[in-house]
Amino acid sequence: MIAEELITDKGVSAGDEWITVPAPRLREAMAALKEDGYRLLVFLTCVDHLADASKEWPARFELLYEVRDMEKLRDLRVRAFVDGEPPEIDSVHDLFPPANWDERETYDLFGVVFSGHPELTRILMPDDWVGYPLRRDYPVGGEPVEFSEEHETWLTPPPEA
Amino acid sequence: MGLEDLVDSLGQNVLTTTVGKVIGWGRGNSVWPAQFGLACCAIEMISTATAGVDIARFGSEAMRASPRQADLMIVSGRVSQKMAPILRTIYDQMPEPKWVISMGACASTGGVFNNYALLQGVDKVVPVDVYIPGCPPRPEDLLNALMILQERIKAQGIVTR
Amino acid sequence: MSIEDASGQGVTITQTGERGAFGGELLTVNFGPHHPSTHGVLRLIVDLDGEQVKRVKPVIGYLHTGIEKQMEALRWQQGVVCTDRHDYLSPPINNLAYALAVERLMGVEVPPRAQALRVIMCELTRLSSHLVWLGTSGIELGAMSVLMYCFRERDTIMDMNEEISGFRMHTSYIRPGGVMADATPRFFDMLAKFVREMPRHIDEYEDLLTMNPIWRSRTIGIGRLAPEVAKVVGASGPMIRGSGIAWDLRKVMPYSGYENYDFEVATNDGCDCYARYLVRIQEMREAVKILGQALDRLPDGPVNVDDRKMLPPPREELETSMEAVIHHFKLFTEGYSVPPGDVYVAVESGRGENGCYIVSDGTHKPRRVKFRSASFVNLQALERMALNHMIADLVAIIGTADTVLGDVDR
Ligand code: SF4
Repeated sequence: MIAEELITDKGVSAGDEWITVPAPRLREAMAALKEDGYRLLVFLTCVDHLADASKEWPARFELLYEVRDMEKLRDLRVRAFVDGEPPEIDSVHDLFPPANWDERETYDLFGVVFSGHPELTRILMPDDWVGYPLRRDYPVGGEPVEFSEEHETWLTPPPEA
Repeated sequence: MGLEDLVDSLGQNVLTTTVGKVIGWGRGNSVWPAQFGLACCAIEMISTATAGVDIARFGSEAMRASPRQADLMIVSGRVSQKMAPILRTIYDQMPEPKWVISMGACASTGGVFNNYALLQGVDKVVPVDVYIPGCPPRPEDLLNALMILQERIKAQGIVTR
Repeated sequence: MSIEDASGQGVTITQTGERGAFGGELLTVNFGPHHPSTHGVLRLIVDLDGEQVKRVKPVIGYLHTGIEKQMEALRWQQGVVCTDRHDYLSPPINNLAYALAVERLMGVEVPPRAQALRVIMCELTRLSSHLVWLGTSGIELGAMSVLMYCFRERDTIMDMNEEISGFRMHTSYIRPGGVMADATPRFFDMLAKFVREMPRHIDEYEDLLTMNPIWRSRTIGIGRLAPEVAKVVGASGPMIRGSGIAWDLRKVMPYSGYENYDFEVATNDGCDCYARYLVRIQEMREAVKILGQALDRLPDGPVNVDDRKMLPPPREELETSMEAVIHHFKLFTEGYSVPPGDVYVAVESGRGENGCYIVSDGTHKPRRVKFRSASFVNLQALERMALNHMIADLVAIIGTADTVLGDVDR
């Protein structure tokens, strides 16, 4: 069972259960969940909450780990919030093998550093790429298109937010 | 004079034409594409080669695995920033004279993806002879493009590019 | 180990200086990214001891399209077109994952007829995806003629797609709030004929391959993935079912009314490439069964939710009602907004668990869209499957893993 003090917040979002754990103790929490039967890491990703007015966010980057118990058929989403430049969190690739590439992808696209990862290099973008494309302050890029809406850079949220 | 005599005597006849026309005729009817697919359009390229529309009717069924044996590069799909240098190398490896068909919206302009990751049109790295619109173009569209290209090759005659 | 930069050549070879079991030197061979048998733009760096594979390192990203970023720039209803294009062999299934996710956040439920039409489209797609897989894998292992047969039936499916949505591959037929439009009577005629004839065609493919000695010797015992390993690496779809585990999201976590259909989960205990082939063939038969049932019990009624905030009003209303005009205008100028929150929806595609995770910040564009792709995870198992096999078998292993590079790189 995952210890109570590891859970700082919990709830249900559109039918999916989630818990928040403190980022420095993520590994501990994930190991406990694995003991608890959540053996499979479905995916791991990151959300950039820069200029997100929908809620008070504890930090800019939210890391999400969706774990699944294949016997009891239950899913759980684990959130951890990190800040800083670069944002840093422990790697879980040895607990959950599929995390290996997922962590590399998150590093590639968000610049989140997973300490303890054996080979944290770019995976989707070319090795010499500068910047982390999926951050909200990174422009979409491409070329301007005439007679269309301007490409937004999202440094500011849309007015009705 | 019976029909047989006529046929017999035809073999003795002489036609006058220019060398350029003969070469153009030969080249135009045996365009060998390089076999490589990039994305969704490649699936429609495969279906062009199958029995339904049958590209063999136009002498282009011999998809060559090596660029050194190919005359035609069909850029079938989106070209990412990571793939672009490789695409150019493949083009450079093909012997002259060579032609390029840009198949689909992505290869021609970037398509629906106007963003950082994609090359906004393959004509930034290789010269394109025929563009095909569509996402993906129908197999018939590819055949049509091939026929347009054949007309051009035949008209070009002995001149290389 | 020195690895030369991708030269664009199909294969380059470098000497590593390491010694193999037989005293020879390990060679590093670079496959791809342009190589006729890597199923797209996959690049593999393989270390060989003689002909034996000792290490495989896939290098991906050659088809990275920035779809996730692109969707953040598009409105909720525009994003559907991007979902078609990441796993390009199963567009409606990806549409469904996205549509279900948006609907769950909005708290709407589509009418039964829409659900049934969605199931029909998904199963047709599963068939066409497996057909492309069968044809191209056949070519890679030297069975040229299978491709011709498979694409004949695929073309029939494409014609049906065209009839129902107006487009062959990227239909965008399934949308948040329902489907694009109701199917035409001609579509149902075509479907009925297809359901009648398809089982015979599947027999044809089996005649060509199942007992074919070359096919058998190239696939049996090749690329073993033990059940425990399959679970640990997170494999899904035919990869895990080919290892004898009956894990199918349509059964274990039903969505879109799959619980109402009677079908078996195809499994096989072989754990090898041949087992995965048999699983896919069996899945095609089951898909035809589901299609037949869906056709028989297709409910009547609307195909879209009745929510003017989400979908445009019918054309007739525009002429009489001012409110309808306003809704129409709002929808097409700024789109609808989705309540804040996040949701993950997983569906079973031809390759395994394809999921869509979306985060909304309450605006008319998504904050984050993430696709959990089956190919991305399955490809990580490649090294474990290929170890100590001959280099020629690597092609069979990649082939039967059925990775779609668009799905891996997104
Ligand atoms: S044009 Fe369309 S079908 Fe072709 S590669 Fe681009 S997205 Fe895919």
